[in-house]
Amino acid sequence: MIEAKNIYLSYDDNKYIIKKGNFSIKQKEFIFIGGNSGSGKSTLLKSFYGDIPLKHGSLKIDNHEVFGIRGKKLRILRKDIGVIFQDYKLINEYTIEENIMIPLKINGYSHDVSKDQANKLLSHVRLSHRAGYYPNELSGGEQQRVAVARALAHNPKIIIADEPTGNLDDYSADVVWNLLKGANEQLGITIVVVTHRVPKNLGIKFRQLSIEDGIIYEVS
Amino acid sequence: MKFLKNIFAFLIPLLSMLITFSIYLLIDNVVENYKSKISRDYSIVIVTNTPLIKENIDELAGIKVEKIQTLQKDKIINNIKNNLSNNSIELLKQKLPHFYQIYLEVFPTTSELEDIKETLLRNKNVRKVEVFYKNHNQIYLLLVLLNSVSFILFFIITIFAIIIIAKQIKLWFHEHSTRIAILRLHGASILYSASTVLNYAIISSFLAFLISGIFLYYVSHNMLVLFPLELHDIVDVKVNLNYELFKIFILSFCISIFTIFGVLLKYKINND
Repeated sequence: MIEAKNIYLSYDDNKYIIKKGNFSIKQKEFIFIGGNSGSGKSTLLKSFYGDIPLKHGSLKIDNHEVFGIRGKKLRILRKDIGVIFQDYKLINEYTIEENIMIPLKINGYSHDVSKDQANKLLSHVRLSHRAGYYPNELSGGEQQRVAVARALAHNPKIIIADEPTGNLDDYSADVVWNLLKGANEQLGITIVVVTHRVPKNLGIKFRQLSIEDGIIYEVS
Repeated sequence: MKFLKNIFAFLIPLLSMLITFSIYLLIDNVVENYKSKISRDYSIVIVTNTPLIKENIDELAGIKVEKIQTLQKDKIINNIKNNLSNNSIELLKQKLPHFYQIYLEVFPTTSELEDIKETLLRNKNVRKVEVFYKNHNQIYLLLVLLNSVSFILFFIITIFAIIIIAKQIKLWFHEHSTRIAILRLHGASILYSASTVLNYAIISSFLAFLISGIFLYYVSHNMLVLFPLELHDIVDVKVNLNYELFKIFILSFCISIFTIFGVLLKYKINND
């Protein structure tokens, strides 16, 4: 599913944030990527959807080679991925229903099909009663549930989440973890989560990677 | 309110450009109309020793020759034949030189007519050149000058309009950068991501076309709004409105699309 071979990441040529990164993630796995602040967790995640180019090495996501990816190939890769961010990244001018419809419309679904699917997902994240609300009218926890619904909307093979519970209280965080757990267990979606706080009692088998001094290693 | 403000920032430079273009089109129509009005108010007649090879004269003083008409000698002979014997008439027919009238594609100025006369006289076969004209020179030159000035003005305003429109599109991109970035993260193309900006541009272009179209329609029916009453005879022209409106429509959308794609290309190069 995801295979990294000797990858190097940096924002400039002087200092590598990730060095000699080697790891592989199988389909349907639930992976946590940990490490201290500034260790490069989010940078690694950004490279998964081509937001940061690889300096060296090979990173394959569902047979898409990420090294040097751009243009149409990058758009195709991104269409196969669901993304969740700490700051939700919802479009404030769109209602939450319209926000969930975004990946569906980009993937070519008609307006009616997108709307139906968005409403099913709103029901799944228990926000049906807020379909016509705008993101800034919702609490942080509710916004993140919308973001999860949006990530699930087009039935991606992989969901990557960057500190999805970083801004949430414990109750909202539990709701989000349960949604991600359900996506992994019931839909077989590979989940990769960057977090510095791995939830206790997730109730699911997961693997954990950690980054220290730019080196990625597996936590046993 | 914000929507209107956004639209106006794009509309005003585009509208200035289209109105200048409309004025240029109107003046151009006036010039063309005046040219056709005076086009037969001159005459160039040449007398040659031997028949003229018309194909050899296709341009005179930089003006294309429309046609060269042979003037029949019979008319001259008919006028005097009563006093002449048949033999004399035959002899006269052989001895008479050849007469031609030259028509040009464009109305020549006085200096151009003089130039044409000199050019023709350099040909040894040409015995005489007679040029008759009514002097339209000053009005014609003034109209041509006005036409050139309006075109230069249109050209300068177009450059400034493109700069302002490009700045406004960049501003829109900046305003919608979060939305564009989110859509791009989900695999949307740049065109899809920037659809709001494109919609603004299309609405503004259509509004600009509509307003300048109304302006052109009104002024073409009330030319004296632009020109003094004394010029009524000259500026009273029938404008082919459909054709001129089509030109304005094409210009309005071409400039908007050309500018927006320029900005999109730059954005794509910087962000891909």
